[in-house]
Amino acid sequence: MFLAWNEIKKNKLRFTLITGVLMLVSYLVFFLSGLATGLESLNRESVDKWEATAIILTEESDKSLPQSSMILDEVNGVDAKESAVIGQINAIAASGDQKNNVSIFGIEKDEFIMPNVTEGKEFSNTNEVIASDSLKEDGFKLGDNLQLSSTEERLTIVGFTDEARFNGAPVLYGDLSTFHRVKYGEAAELNADQINGIVVRTDDLSSVTQNDALEVSEIETFIRNLPGYTEQNLTLNFMIYFLFAISSVIVAIFLYVLTVQKISMFGVMKAQGISNRYLSQSVIAQTFILAAIGVTVGFVLTLISGAFLPSAVPVSFDLAIMILYGLILIIVAILGAVFSVLTIVKIDPLKAIGG
Amino acid sequence: MAILELNQVKKSFGTDHKKVDALKETNFQANKGELIAVIGPSGSGKSTFLTIAGGLQTPSSGDIIINNQNLTALNEKKRSKIRLKEIGFILQSSNLIPFLTVDMQMKLLDKVKKGNMTKEELEQLYEDLGISDLRSKYPVDLSGGERQRAAIAKALYSNPSIILADEPTASLDSDRAYEVMELLKNETKNKNTTTIVVTHDIRLIGYCDKVYNMTDGVLTLEKEKQAVE
Ligand SMILES: Nc1ncnc2c1ncn2[C@@H]1O[C@H](COP(=O)(O)OP(=O)(O)O)[C@@H](O)[C@H]1O
Ligand SMILES: [Mg+2]
Repeated sequence: MFLAWNEIKKNKLRFTLITGVLMLVSYLVFFLSGLATGLESLNRESVDKWEATAIILTEESDKSLPQSSMILDEVNGVDAKESAVIGQINAIAASGDQKNNVSIFGIEKDEFIMPNVTEGKEFSNTNEVIASDSLKEDGFKLGDNLQLSSTEERLTIVGFTDEARFNGAPVLYGDLSTFHRVKYGEAAELNADQINGIVVRTDDLSSVTQNDALEVSEIETFIRNLPGYTEQNLTLNFMIYFLFAISSVIVAIFLYVLTVQKISMFGVMKAQGISNRYLSQSVIAQTFILAAIGVTVGFVLTLISGAFLPSAVPVSFDLAIMILYGLILIIVAILGAVFSVLTIVKIDPLKAIGG
Repeated sequence: MAILELNQVKKSFGTDHKKVDALKETNFQANKGELIAVIGPSGSGKSTFLTIAGGLQTPSSGDIIINNQNLTALNEKKRSKIRLKEIGFILQSSNLIPFLTVDMQMKLLDKVKKGNMTKEELEQLYEDLGISDLRSKYPVDLSGGERQRAAIAKALYSNPSIILADEPTASLDSDRAYEVMELLKNETKNKNTTTIVVTHDIRLIGYCDKVYNMTDGVLTLEKEKQAVE
């Protein structure tokens, strides 16, 4: 620490530069991880809120809720602690000038996926809905009469709920008859027994249904199969992992160049009998100091700039993940120092002294 | 009493017809309280001799014994420990660390080794070397002579039993060179250490108890001062 810290103090400029680079890299990592978390919730927060174990869809639908179609009666064959039927359809909802993609969920009011109401009241009549409060940011409000893209039906927002987005779209929760009217229009009565799936809470997935045409998917599997979800996560995570590698390489190059410049100095110290261990620890300590400062500043800057972001940017910071990524950044930086350590160990003190 | 012994030490570089016998078979002893000079032309093997004596390189054959420890049998890690404990090197170019002040150079030694000088002894050493005012300066802010004196302070600070100096006065003018020799002599006598100075400056040999000559890898005793006191 003594050598490490005094060298940093004496050479502020060069060490500020590398700390600055580490700060920018960590800023980017934190931001991307925020984006990943944000986009994840955009896709799954409504599903997470159900706190369900699994969802039953038709085998044919290949784990896609909109593609699955079954009759209400299927719920009688389901063996689970709790079950909730769901109908789902995507639409464009418009109120005045405001237009937004929405996902309409038809549910039974007394079943467990019924959302809490954060503002307004629960739906009690057909064509009344509880809307995701993210729609408020787009200008929708209580009492809005929504025009839908695919039907003449109009929906009224009677309440708002939080954490209600599904596969990128805010959710409108209404009862099954609302869903049937939106989906089938004139033919709603004829299709009054149609649903898309059944959400269950259970301890034993294997005995949920005996029907071969139905498939029970764990919630996590279901979410991973949402269109675009896995691809999006892979892309962002790939970028993050790549940044880990980049910061390791940057640190490795920087420290290596510094170490090469100091070969004769290290040689002299080794000639004096200062051990490889002490010198190596010093380089590691130095890397730790630089990385810790860079990552901490990057962390704080991320949080500050996060507070000023427009709400349209789907960034949400998960502190646990950020801390984990911060630690990984510090560890990969230290891995980058290994090159320099190897170089130091190989220095021949005799050469440094020169005859 | 012999603190440093070289027994039948040889060193050659390269193989076959390209072989250079940098140091022919050498027997050498240095006792406590002795200031020894090794003179000889460039390329004669002086540095080879000094670095082998200091455990910085291993001989092709023969034994080096420092303070009753045979270095030949030891690996670099153990030799490194002995260097730290027993030997102070003074090099041609100063061996200071650029980002540490004079005081910090000493402090670094405190970090890696116990049993260095006390505060008072260090004060005295600074005083003797005339660098008391330079203690909080960085090497870049020192002149060549000041740097060399700080380097000497560093070599002496760890209370080594042997001081090995390779052309310590090469970067100094004559007056400074004489001062440095005077200083090494005083340290050697006062602390009863052993100092070997390699130089090709024959004006400096007047300070020394023994003068060896190195020619083509052969070390011969040239002159021995009779103990007057
Ligand atoms: N590492 C080495 N490899 C090959 N030859 C060397 C090496 N070190 C020294 N020599 C040779 O050994 C001889 C003695 O060198 P050195 O001890 O440095 O002499 P001096 O210090 O008296 O000038 C020279 O001929 C030199 O070229
Ligand atoms: Mg030499």
